[in-house]
This record gives sequence, structure tokens and C-alpha cells, in this order.
Amino acid sequence: MEIKICQLYPDVLNLYGDQGNIICLRRRLQWRGIEVQTIGLPVGEAADLCDFDIIFIGGGMSTPQQPLINDLYNGRAAQLVAAVDSGVTVLAVCEGYELMGKYCITPEGDRVDCAGAVNFYTRLGHERLTGDCLFECGEDSGGSRVVSFENHSGRIYLGEGVSPLGRVIKGYGNNGEDGTEGARYKNFFGSYGHGPLLPKNPALADFILQTALERKYPGCALGPLDDTLENNAHNFMLSRLEK
Amino acid sequence: MKLRIIFSIIASRLTRFGLRILGRGGTALPGKVALKICPDILRTLARDVKTIVITGTNGKTTSSRIVEQILTEAGLSYFANRSGANLIQGIVAEFAMHSKVTGKPKCDYAVIECDEAASVMVCKYINPVVVLVTNIFGDQLDRFGDVMNTLENVKAGIKNSPSAVICLNADCSLSASIAREIENQVIFYGVDTEIYRERIPEVSDAAHCIFCKARYEYDYSTYGHLGGFNCPKCGYKRPQPRVAVGKILNQSADSTTVEMLVDGETLVACISIPGGYNIYNAAAGMAVALALGISKDAAARALAGVESGFGRMEKLPLGGVSARMILVKNPAGCNQVLNFLSNMDGQALFVICLNDNVGDGRDVSWIWDVSFEILGTMGDRLSGVIASGIRAHEMALRLKYAGLPVEKLRVIPDYDQLIDAMAGQDKPVVIMPTYSAMMELREKIAGKYGLKDFWE
Ligand SMILES: [Zn+2]
Repeated sequence: MEIKICQLYPDVLNLYGDQGNIICLRRRLQWRGIEVQTIGLPVGEAADLCDFDIIFIGGGMSTPQQPLINDLYNGRAAQLVAAVDSGVTVLAVCEGYELMGKYCITPEGDRVDCAGAVNFYTRLGHERLTGDCLFECGEDSGGSRVVSFENHSGRIYLGEGVSPLGRVIKGYGNNGEDGTEGARYKNFFGSYGHGPLLPKNPALADFILQTALERKYPGCALGPLDDTLENNAHNFMLSRLEK
Repeated sequence: MKLRIIFSIIASRLTRFGLRILGRGGTALPGKVALKICPDILRTLARDVKTIVITGTNGKTTSSRIVEQILTEAGLSYFANRSGANLIQGIVAEFAMHSKVTGKPKCDYAVIECDEAASVMVCKYINPVVVLVTNIFGDQLDRFGDVMNTLENVKAGIKNSPSAVICLNADCSLSASIAREIENQVIFYGVDTEIYRERIPEVSDAAHCIFCKARYEYDYSTYGHLGGFNCPKCGYKRPQPRVAVGKILNQSADSTTVEMLVDGETLVACISIPGGYNIYNAAAGMAVALALGISKDAAARALAGVESGFGRMEKLPLGGVSARMILVKNPAGCNQVLNFLSNMDGQALFVICLNDNVGDGRDVSWIWDVSFEILGTMGDRLSGVIASGIRAHEMALRLKYAGLPVEKLRVIPDYDQLIDAMAGQDKPVVIMPTYSAMMELREKIAGKYGLKDFWE
């Protein structure tokens, strides 16, 4: 068995330990004897995104960055739409998450079209929403509790047909208003939890991996791992945030 | 005006005295008080002092210590802002402390470590005789272009130093570029050879030519973007340094011995603080000696007697166990510690103390950008790794995913238990703490084994 992972835009969207998610996905597959191929796809480099089993898009300094937007308009957006629609597993965080929506509205009120792969939009502001975050995934995303760190100036508002990844217990989530965090649509997972979101949330990591495995090798399930250290790190933050 | 100066100096000293009585190392407040009373105070206080300003991203504190040792060896009187208060208030406080109440200096020289952004104002008032730029790197949050900001700040500081000799790192394409824009006398220093046997692959902060954006080519590289760079398109290349480290003769856990070529003359220097990046700080010190007209032999003798600064390769008393503490703030600095560790001969115990207080940064995500993977390749030379601090469990997780064998890993969040664990074994220890972890650990070790206060 082999899973092909693509890190999209590692040259510009790769901040705050985003590598942590790639390392986590790779290790958790390898520990189960599944082979992994990881490919970084920089801005301007062509590849068929539907060839991959998992696509990861990380965070950057601000949205929208012009080279990224140009790259999207040069055919990448259509590929991302096709990939999401055909059930490729996609994990997008922070600016990468914002980029997957329909459009962004800048603080000046201008509208910038994004990939349009998932039905939501982003309103960009100046005030940053920063801090530890705790949310509970919906049933359709495994139902686990997730501890993360968020640092974003954008506010995301979900549209019809898209469910939140989870409900905020502590922190801001998508916009600090409606109690939602992240987005779920087909096998798309979006979150404002930046950097190493997956390592200390092994249940979410495995849930995401399972969607990719199921699509490529139907009926194949991930075996259990010794998650003692993962759970220790998770529980430490959980007890801090539940206070 | 005269009275204001006197009053300003006295007020500043009283504030500092008061803080010390309270047992606090407050370093900015006394300067703030002095500036409030007399905004122009620094110009007056620095007028008759020959000041060496030391700035740059990494290595400021250690380079300052080396320059201090060189001045000591040359028999010159000086003071320094040792506590690392490197913004204008802290610097003013230090000058106020070392002048008579009339404003006349008590010392001939001052060694002033200065924050890159503060250097513009500091140099304007001080009019230094030497400015040393150690290097320019990106800090964690400004990997996207802010390196250029730092460069501009440093450049502006130098432009406010018309009579200074400027010492620049020839191997750093960013800082070396400053020479093209200034009239000052420049002394370049550098390292002619690779410095690590094994090295962590790093992301370069300056892969492309600062003048024409073409990709640099390298004859050799030492770490980060430092090395023998040249631009194939516009011809910008590493300048020939007057102080050049030609060979690394020996590297141990306590010192490094190098062969240096200074103005064409070869000398052997033992640098009494370990770590590849400290070779650069030593060469920088030699360049400052040349700028001040101090003999190279006196400077070389000084290098053998340098004690490392607070939290920079600082030696700690820990019963009979040899321990060094190296503060980490960003992935680049952290990777250098790992380079040091993986190039050590003999066995060592590695300890990481990860806190997430405000002074450390609340977000610990950056540990996933550090190449801890190298620990997994050290085999028997690594006797073990202890993850400690508030976020010990997060750290342990990072190490597990870095491929460190789990039997080598221990998690001890509590510092008292950590100190006992370190003292209760016989291998040399390398401790890598974040800022508040360092303060806390230092205090606890001081309580148990005795240690100087950090402002001394
Ligand atoms: Zn060039």
C-alpha cells in the first residue's frame, strides 16, 4: 500500500511548524507499514492534483498573496475544485484554509476570488484572533476533542452544504461569533488551528488518514498505535483549556 | 542644563540601587528615568567614551564578552551593558552608572551590545569608534522579508556613526553588502572553511543575490546562509577578510582551537567557548582588536580566557557534572545547538526545557521547524534526552516524531526533579531552555549549587 501526499505551496505557505502535520501524517502511515511518498509543489509548478491521495496546504503571513492568487487563476483553482469534488483528502489550515473558499473580502472592501473549492468566504480584518483553542469535532468528523493554537486576522463564514469541522469550546474558531471552527465538505478538512495541529490530536489525524485510505483501498482500516505520548500532550492542553 | 544632567544621573542610579535592594535585576527603568529628566543625556555621557557598538541577529552577547576580554588583556578601562539590556533605556542606564555625577566618564571605553532596531538612535547619540555587525538572520516570525528590515536598521545605525571603523562578517552576504554604501573604514572577518563535520540542512535566509536576485553559488558553507558565496550574474561575492579562520585544528565540548590568518600572518588561537558559531564571534573580536589598534597576540590570549555570557554556552555548577546552558529563541539558533551537540566527541545527555510563558512565546509550534531528526542519528554518543518545562509533553512528542528511540527519552516537567536527574548521572549535559525556562532553572540551580546573579 502506498499513500501519496502533496504539500501545496511549501515555498510560501509553510509557517509556524506546518511541517508538523506532514511529519505526523507520514509517520502514522509508516508505523502501520504503509508506504508514503511526499511531494512539495511550489507556486507555478504544474502537477495533476487528482493524482494525490492527500493534499496539505499550510499557513502564510497574510491573505491574499498575489503570486498565490495568480497561480490559482492559472488553472490551479479548477484542479483544486476537481480534487475536492472527486473526494481527494485535503487538509488546509490558516491562510491555506482561507484560500480554498469562494472569495476573500479585504479590509478595504475589495473582493478577491479564491479557489472556490468549498462554499465559504473570508472577511479579512486587522485585529488578530490569537491563542489556544479547544473544539469538539462533529460526528461526521469523528467526534473527538481537538486542542490547537490559532492566530488569524481573517473571519470565515460557512455557506450552504458545508458543515463546521467542530464546535468551539474555548477560543475563537472561524469568526469568533457563531461558535463554529473549521470546515468539512466531502473529504475536505479546513481549520484555523495552525502549525502542528495533528500530532497532539491523534484521533483527528487518524480520521483524516482513514478517509484517504478508504478512497484508495476500500474496506481497509488503520490499525491501532501506542499513542501514550500523543495523549499526554493532548491531555495537558485539554486540562489547561477546560479550567 | 548642567543641573539637569546631574539630576538625571543621580535619579537613574537611585532607581537602579532601589531595584537591587528589592533583589531585582531591573535594567530598563533607571534609563527611562534618566531619559525623562534629560532626553539628550546619552550624548553628554558618551562624549568622552570610546564606544564599541555590537549589533546583529545572533552572537551579540558572546561577541561583547570577547571584546571585553580583549580590552582587559590590553589593560584598558571599560564598562559594558552585560545584563543584555540592549535597548536605549538600558544603555543610558549603563552610561549613567559609569560616569561621575558631573557627567565625566569613569572609563575610557564602553562595550555596548545594541538591538538592531535601537542602533539608529544609539549610534546617533554615542558616535561610536567601532561598530561590529555579527550577522543578519531571520527570526522565526519574519522569515518573509523582514530580514531586509533588520539590514536597513543596522545600515541606518552605521550611517549615524561617521567616525567608526565598521567590522563586518564577510561570509554573510547580507551584512557584507553594507560596505558598498558607506564611506567608513571596513574590516572584514570570516571563516575560510566548513566548521561542522555533520550539519543540519537549513533553509537559507539569503539564497538569492541582494543586488540582482540571481541564486548565489557557494565554494563552501559554514551554517545558515554563511560561507563563500558568489553571484554568477552580477559578480557580488564574499570579500577577502583581513581576519580569516583558515583551519579548525580541534573542537571539543569546552573549546575550539583554530588557525587564523590576520593581515597575512598566521596565528593559532584557542577559543575557550565551544560551538562552531563562536568561531565567528572570536574572529569578530579579532577584527575589533585590529580596529582599536590592539595587538593580535593580546587578542589571541584574550580568546583563551573568555567566559561565556549568561545563558550562552554558560557553564553551570551541577555537583560534579559538567553542564552547559544554551538559550534558544528560534529554529535557526536551535539548529546551531544541535549542530554543536552532534559534533561533540564522547557521550552527552541532552535536555530541552520548553516553556510557553509570554517571554518564550505562547505558541510553541516552532519546535516542529527544528531538525531534531539529527538526534536519532547520534547513536551511542547520545546517552539520553530529557524533555522538561511547562510543555515537556509537547516536546517529547516532537522528539518521538523526529525518530528518537523512545528508550532514550525521558519526560520530567518539574525543574527540581530535572536537576536531580542531571546531577545523578555522569555524562556531560547540554541544556537547551527557552527564556523563562532558563531564568527558572538558573534560579533553582543557584539555590542548590550557587551561581552569580545575572546582572553581575
Ligand atoms: Zn548578483
